[in-house]
Amino acid sequence: MRYERNEWPSYKSEMPLGQIPVLKVDGVKLPQSMAIARFLAKRFGLWGKDDLQQANVDTVVDTIVNLMNKFSPIYAEQDESKKKAEMAKFFPNELPKHVRNLDTLVKLYSDGGLFFVGNHLTCCDLEVYNILEYLLQIDENVLYSYSWLHKNREEVEKQPKIASYLKNRPARRSTTC
Amino acid sequence: MPNYKLYYFDGRGRGEFSRLIFAAADQQFEDVRYPQTEWPSHKQEMPLGQMPVLEVDGIKIPQSFTIARFLAKQFNLAGKDNLEQAKADATVDTIADLMAKLSPLMYDKDEVRKQQGIKKFQEEELPKHLQNLEKLAKLYGNGAFFVGGSLTWADLVFYEISNSLLKLDPNVLKDYQQLLKTRQEVEKHPKVSAYLKSRPESQF
Repeated sequence: MRYERNEWPSYKSEMPLGQIPVLKVDGVKLPQSMAIARFLAKRFGLWGKDDLQQANVDTVVDTIVNLMNKFSPIYAEQDESKKKAEMAKFFPNELPKHVRNLDTLVKLYSDGGLFFVGNHLTCCDLEVYNILEYLLQIDENVLYSYSWLHKNREEVEKQPKIASYLKNRPARRSTTC
Repeated sequence: MPNYKLYYFDGRGRGEFSRLIFAAADQQFEDVRYPQTEWPSHKQEMPLGQMPVLEVDGIKIPQSFTIARFLAKQFNLAGKDNLEQAKADATVDTIADLMAKLSPLMYDKDEVRKQQGIKKFQEEELPKHLQNLEKLAKLYGNGAFFVGGSLTWADLVFYEISNSLLKLDPNVLKDYQQLLKTRQEVEKHPKVSAYLKSRPESQF
């Protein structure tokens, strides 16, 4: 279900926290994007094969959440000149340490393969893919010295079902991420 | 039986979620507490140069909520099935949203600006977070706990955060009956109440 911005206010009160995304499953409404993603990843075998792998996936996800907590408010800023000033600070001063942290986790968990955890696609590869898409659109050199992160992106894009989804999904018009 | 070691500062903060989970599950662990002066010499031993870190049979796991969720699963405190676990996750994420607004204010070194920031947070930001948590507790809980009919890590995480909120304002939860109820239930839990009586006092 995709709501247009002008439609959203009339649906807001139907959502547990007055926010979206919400997943409705077996009649239950679940808010919070990462809780939803984890629930679906578990159901579809994309969370990691054992407790420790799952913890590693969660660690990568939490590290992305740290990045998003800093980036999202800036991305959503309506005042264009304020947004430009904040972006100009974020990219050189804040973003590098988050990318470095992701690279550290790659070295710890990827086991020599091209996925973040356990040599198979998990939801954290998808979440890194998603957030990097926003960042690369603003600065295509974000992954400049991180060749593994490039290769991981290519690997995600090669997955047949994902390739087909990326080709066919509606063009994004949002101002939030 | 796995060997658990928790590394954190000598205080509650983000390490306490896991300590409460160990307590509720009556599980042994090595509670490593680094004083601030000692921390710099251990920083590079930690995967992301931060704490808390959980070491399980020699493997180090960073990120406080990942650690807490992992331990909750080990000790059957995560929710009894996939959907209950998702409800607990959604509750903890909602608490994390609150912390994302409050934590930066608590670390402000400018005392005057810090007090102004906290006051603004309490008046303009905090109510909607508490309303959201009250709503989730009513939606997912049975009247006592946040999720289903028994204690989960969501109750313990909320208990710890609400302690910090109550220190700032003892009346902060007066309009939130369900949230007060979950605090009472946590305090009634025999293992948790024993731990709360005996845990060291700390500034944070």
